[in-house]
Amino acid sequence: MNSLRRPTRSAELGLQALWFIFGGGFVLLTCAGFFGGTIGLIKIERTDLLDLLLWGVFLVWQLAPILFEGYSPGLSFREVARYPISFRVYFLLSSAYGMVDPAAITCTLWLFSMWLGVLVARPEWALAAAVALLLFAILNLFLNRIVIGLFERFQSTRRGRERMVFLMFVLLLLPQFLQFVTGYWTNMRVLKLPAWVLDAVLPLREFSPPGVAAKVFLLDGSPEFWALGGLLFYGCLAFLLLQRQLRAIHQGEIYAEAYTVRRELKVSKGWRVPFVDGITAAIIEKELRYVRQTSRLLLQLIYPPIIFLLIAFNGPTRKFISVSRPEGLLAGMAGFMLLSVPNMAYNAFGMDKEAFGRWLLSPSPLAKVLLAKNLTCGGIFVTLYLIVAVVLVVISHIGLVAAATVTIGFLAILVIQLGAGNLISVIWPKRIELAKMNSRMVSNAAGVASLLVVLPLTAIAGAVAFASWYWQLPWLPLLGGLACLAASLKIYSYLLHRSARYAWEHIEEITGNLGA
Amino acid sequence: MAETVLQTLALRRTFGPLIAVDNLDLRVEKQQFYGFLGPNGAGKSTTIKMLTGLLRPTSGQVHILGRNLATDSVEIKRRIGVVPEGLALFERLTGAQLLNFVGRMYGLDRAKAAERSAELLEFMDLKDSADKLVADYSHGMKKKTALAAAVIHGPEILFLDEPFEGVDAIAATTLKRLLQRFIVHGGTVFLTSHVLEVVERLCTHIGIIQRGRLVASGSLEELRSGVKVAGHDQAPLTLEEIFLQVVGGAKQDAEVLSWL
Repeated sequence: MNSLRRPTRSAELGLQALWFIFGGGFVLLTCAGFFGGTIGLIKIERTDLLDLLLWGVFLVWQLAPILFEGYSPGLSFREVARYPISFRVYFLLSSAYGMVDPAAITCTLWLFSMWLGVLVARPEWALAAAVALLLFAILNLFLNRIVIGLFERFQSTRRGRERMVFLMFVLLLLPQFLQFVTGYWTNMRVLKLPAWVLDAVLPLREFSPPGVAAKVFLLDGSPEFWALGGLLFYGCLAFLLLQRQLRAIHQGEIYAEAYTVRRELKVSKGWRVPFVDGITAAIIEKELRYVRQTSRLLLQLIYPPIIFLLIAFNGPTRKFISVSRPEGLLAGMAGFMLLSVPNMAYNAFGMDKEAFGRWLLSPSPLAKVLLAKNLTCGGIFVTLYLIVAVVLVVISHIGLVAAATVTIGFLAILVIQLGAGNLISVIWPKRIELAKMNSRMVSNAAGVASLLVVLPLTAIAGAVAFASWYWQLPWLPLLGGLACLAASLKIYSYLLHRSARYAWEHIEEITGNLGA
Repeated sequence: MAETVLQTLALRRTFGPLIAVDNLDLRVEKQQFYGFLGPNGAGKSTTIKMLTGLLRPTSGQVHILGRNLATDSVEIKRRIGVVPEGLALFERLTGAQLLNFVGRMYGLDRAKAAERSAELLEFMDLKDSADKLVADYSHGMKKKTALAAAVIHGPEILFLDEPFEGVDAIAATTLKRLLQRFIVHGGTVFLTSHVLEVVERLCTHIGIIQRGRLVASGSLEELRSGVKVAGHDQAPLTLEEIFLQVVGGAKQDAEVLSWL
């Protein structure tokens, strides 16, 4: 309760409450979708597609608790096993606990909505549907506990945890990437699968847990009792596997960090960075090493420009952008990249966590530390921008004046973003847990604040572009960009020192939030 | 007369209605090994945080090496080394990278920082793990790394918050060797610890804090002469006996749990 007295924490709590309201709304809407979908499929006599709804439930139930790990209840059943409880009680507790997960609750509500749909559309199927959906729910519950157990085993080492998160990110981004790579995604012909793939996949679909569960729906006297047997078989198999897994944990199974190979001691001298003093160079080196040694951060940095290039040159927008206004392509890319800046700049100490205290103990003023962090972050974004900009200028024949105008505008907004990011980093610091999938790079409040920074800047850029077009003043954007860059440097300097002062005045709050 | 390297004047820190440290007057002289003791929640960590700039005092003054911490913090920080409560290590650097980085943060040039890092890794028996991320170190290894980071720039005073907590016997011996060597070479150590045997063996001077107030301070002999315990007329008092007498923490047999 004490922490809520701080306005920064209250804002976080308010935003979390908003998320819960959105979450509740999402569940209600999707329940209506499952209800309507079931009725619709039965009415149009396409019950062969009912398994697709069950596939949705199956995938969400099994994958969502892993993807959104931090939202799930945090009780570790490894700890519970230490208490003097019998294996039977432990098994029941562990299984029942799986039902508390938000994904499990949502999926159960979806299944219930499907059953209501069956009840409305074909009441005579309701009993078979109830049996099928109940068995399917129990199967999902057992499977989910097995998956969580395996996940936990993989997560028992830091490296395993981070690899898992990286893999999850790649899996999340892969569909978008493939969509852009295949190009013209509206043209479904591109996505048409070869016949042999369909031949291999279709039987799997029929005999999969959702497939057999959907078949049980149709037990209105028709002879497909094998499906009920199949569903029971899956349930028993999951039960036995879970029992085996939980027994090992109950008996005290532990996972240990792997043995490491001995290496020869070698300490490198560290990097020399041009134009800056030794301390700033050391901080820049540390920051870059953090980026290099954090695969998730690397992925988040390189993904936006790659996706932008794919959209620009492979999507339906290609003709419009490259032919009519090639400089619009560069401006769009600059804007796209600037949207990623908050991820790195709006929680400058989030990756340092407890080590924030090390900055306070060191003889370097905090403003210098922030400046070095900004130089690193700014350097990364400017480098990425320049690489993509050169490619665009060469391919799209963008005029040099237009390229310079966009680049100056990019720099002006980047500098403002970095300055604002410093202040937000000390007002709403957030500990980043790289081994947690749901651990965002910035706090909720910082995310909203980033929009408040970006929107006025976008409005100003838009106003300048409009004025230039309306009054036919082609030099106005370049002049406006230079004026904005000068102003942004001044504002940055003010925000930098204000942030350092604020940090010193709120050391306890910041160290508390970062876990220091 | 010995040079005073650390002095606090009426140092006070409150958290809302709670007074964590109350009018603390400390005085530590050069080459003293000062043990700062107290029960849990007595104000030890709050004090050490205020002495090292990790926490702002509500009132009072801190003078280190003749300078006021409030006005001259950068210069003071250059001359002290700290092992803070949470160790404050950049865990996504390897041990070697971390020490090199900390050395350079204190103004050492690249070559010297690398040379000292290698020496410290060797001394702390961390050389086999020098290329491993600090995040993968055991607690004892992190403690040794934190101590190495505290001494890499050659400080004049070391502030150590519970340096022996969670450290095995071998690591503890390494730490003790380093600290004794540091004292011999003219350094001063200010440490907090719960391990009274270690404090008794290492420290030349002791301060005991209770409920934010300094209730005893002086050399072990001075403390012994100032505390009388029934039944100990012959043998000299141990630090544990002195500590329990001063803070009044020992429970009588009648007070212990009835079923044990």
